[in-house]
Amino acid sequence: MITVKNLHKSFGSKKVLNNVSLSLNEGETLAIIGLSGTGKSVLLKHIVGLIKPDSGEVFVDDIEITKIKGADLSEVQKKMGYVFQEAALFDSMTVAENVGFGVKNLTSLEEPEISRHVTKCLNMVGLTDIEGLKPSALSGGMKKRVGLARAIAYEPKYIFYDEPTTGLDPIMTDVISDLINHLKKKLSITSIVVTHDIKSAYKIADRIIMLHKGEVIFTGTPEQTKITDNAVVRQFVEGLSEGPIKVERTFGDTII
Amino acid sequence: MFSKKIIHTHRAAKEFSGNFFEAVGNGVLQTFESVGIAAQISAETLVWIFKGKINIRNTVAQIVEVGWRSFPIVALTSFFTGMVLALQVGTATTTLFNEPVYVGTIVGFSLVIELGPVLTAIVVTGRVGAAITAEIGTMKVTEQLDALQTLGTNPVKYLAVPRYIACILMLPLLTALANIIGIYGGFVMSNTAWNMPASVYMRDVLDFMSISTFMHGLIKSFFFGALIAIISCFKGFATTGGAEGVGKATTGAVMVSLVLILVSDYFLTSMLVAFGIK
Repeated sequence: MITVKNLHKSFGSKKVLNNVSLSLNEGETLAIIGLSGTGKSVLLKHIVGLIKPDSGEVFVDDIEITKIKGADLSEVQKKMGYVFQEAALFDSMTVAENVGFGVKNLTSLEEPEISRHVTKCLNMVGLTDIEGLKPSALSGGMKKRVGLARAIAYEPKYIFYDEPTTGLDPIMTDVISDLINHLKKKLSITSIVVTHDIKSAYKIADRIIMLHKGEVIFTGTPEQTKITDNAVVRQFVEGLSEGPIKVERTFGDTII
Repeated sequence: MFSKKIIHTHRAAKEFSGNFFEAVGNGVLQTFESVGIAAQISAETLVWIFKGKINIRNTVAQIVEVGWRSFPIVALTSFFTGMVLALQVGTATTTLFNEPVYVGTIVGFSLVIELGPVLTAIVVTGRVGAAITAEIGTMKVTEQLDALQTLGTNPVKYLAVPRYIACILMLPLLTALANIIGIYGGFVMSNTAWNMPASVYMRDVLDFMSISTFMHGLIKSFFFGALIAIISCFKGFATTGGAEGVGKATTGAVMVSLVLILVSDYFLTSMLVAFGIK
């Protein structure tokens, strides 16, 4: 179980997270939605222990991870997989080495089992015969899927997806959504998905929260999200340019 | 009107002095913070090394990169440095004494205690230090360092430890080779220009040289190796701001390394001389 309590974080004078609290039950998939720059990825990095908060607590299986570091933190991080926004594949390694990296470090598997497992994970995300390629030879969508394969390869208890479907075509987006659901059912993986893709969020999430200006302004099931009266949430999920969220735009010489 | 002007000038001066002191204060704070972070990374690296937690494959790859791949450029620069030293000394002594004297002595001493370690460190800074910062910096801005951490790997242990070991081991070795090649370059020059026999040249080289003379240069190169690794890794880990940030970090790493090599050379030399290693 993951619990976040009263998290605050600022970068310089910019307050990114303002008193954020949430909890995530075993086997649950939580989608975090919100505008770009509202602190969704920062929140995710706090939960995985990559960023320390200014104040607040993050409990992962009752261990307060903001207070630990080094080997103790690594031990907790072994339970977590992270799918990065831009994949973050290691440039100097092949696809197989990338996907097998965590398996080699975090499991007792040895070669050639690792190779077989890597191929299986790549197949799960719809990729075949690319084990020997370097990341530079892959398209953006393929990189994303390799990043996903790398995160699921060592079968962590928790997976954090930072915009897993951004940049993918609609069919592949649906495949990834199905995969997240499949992992949840098959391996009872608990997940947090940061996404802008509302269709995908409705499909995969048990619960949706919306972050706005560093604060949680809405929590509810996908059904509750669809019918909420919260004007900010409505504007966001319906993708409307008009509403309480003001976005400055320029059409010709007119600033709206 | 006049008093208004005075008030305006006074305000401007106050603003300027305020901004100036603020900028100086921020600069000093940032420098101390950077030194602190660099020391922290170095301490962490040394702990991993003393614990024996060394990734052999990465370390060997870095040794090849720092040592083997730097050797051609180090050899070329030291050979020509030896030649030009011999040419200068030979020409000057011929003008003064009608024959080239002490060519081997001056070439040997200059290379072994000063030019060998410093020039090798400068070449390695340009070739290897810049590459270390660019590589780690790129990994930082593309979240690859975060990815390493989430995959159970400490970035300092995985990236900094092999590079520290490679720089510390390879700098003295490259310096020793640079000394030998430079002295040979001096001989080629002396032999070609003044028909100086090898026996005369080598007698000049070795007559006033002792083991401690060699040690003087090698100890300095060891420190230079550590300096290059510390600064390059620190600058890489501290990179922010995308591709532009990587460029700035790389330039900064090379500049700081070069300046510190030349400044620390003076203090190291003073210390070694005080300890009788000369």
